[in-house]
Amino acid sequence: MSRTALHRDDVDDIASLVNGFLQLIIFSGLSSRCSQKMKGKMKLSNFEGLTPMKEECSSKTTAKIKFLNTYRLEPYNKFQDQLVRGRAQAILTNKLQQAKYDAISSPSLCASLSEEILKATKEMGFDRYKYVVTVLIVEKAGQAINVASRWVWDVQRDTWVSAKCETETFIALALIMACYYE
Amino acid sequence: MTAKRKKSTPEKEKEQKYTKRGKTSFVVDEVSNIIKEAIESAIGGNAYQHSKVNQWTTSVVEQSLSQLTKLGKPFKYIVTCVIMQKNGAGLHTASSCFWDNSSDGTCTVRWENKTMYCIVSAFGLAI
Repeated sequence: MSRTALHRDDVDDIASLVNGFLQLIIFSGLSSRCSQKMKGKMKLSNFEGLTPMKEECSSKTTAKIKFLNTYRLEPYNKFQDQLVRGRAQAILTNKLQQAKYDAISSPSLCASLSEEILKATKEMGFDRYKYVVTVLIVEKAGQAINVASRWVWDVQRDTWVSAKCETETFIALALIMACYYE
Repeated sequence: MTAKRKKSTPEKEKEQKYTKRGKTSFVVDEVSNIIKEAIESAIGGNAYQHSKVNQWTTSVVEQSLSQLTKLGKPFKYIVTCVIMQKNGAGLHTASSCFWDNSSDGTCTVRWENKTMYCIVSAFGLAI
């Protein structure tokens, strides 16, 4: 009796495995079609194109959803430091030439600057990168300030750029960090 | 015929948690505790000293980064520290990020004493 009980368990396991495997095949077939459609429309967000399929299948399959291998280690369009630095510098000087430090308006100015720089970097269209943009505005009052950053990342593929703009009343510093994401 | 099944030990389960392709997300509380500890140990009861500031910023950042990597999670970390002398001057920081909201996160810790302000921001990007 014990032998037949084990046999039934094994059959159930095999059935669920086969079920899951079939679902994966169907899912992978569908997702490759989906990603091809999305390539034309969205450049930066390869992984975004796959998320709708994930929601559909996750309730059906018992196995975890995995993204397809693209076998690509490097981005097609690599992050170019000089371009981004020039663009960020231009944005800073344009917006801040006439501005004076003001305790009320500076916070919003700071936030809008960081969003603008992020938007401009995204528009440059480097593929498969995640960005972190930090903007610092410090009023000039004879005090000292020290800024230090450290990171744990992939030295070959991740990089950072900084831009500075100085006026009579304040200093603005922008840091842009780009991390490669597979 | 007996079917043998391997029982997963708690250690193996822990390994599997981080090696599986499933998503781990950024835990803000853990990270903020780590950063607070790092700040306290590096500049805890000290007054602002121009000669030592450089040393302090590097030690805060290095300590927090080493503790973060010890967590063993599949993340890339960026830690930024700003130390400013208290002089009545204003300081504003803003950051915007382009990433995956479900897996990536940020944590900012503000700390001050009588003579200086210290702002540390940590960003975690999932691999």
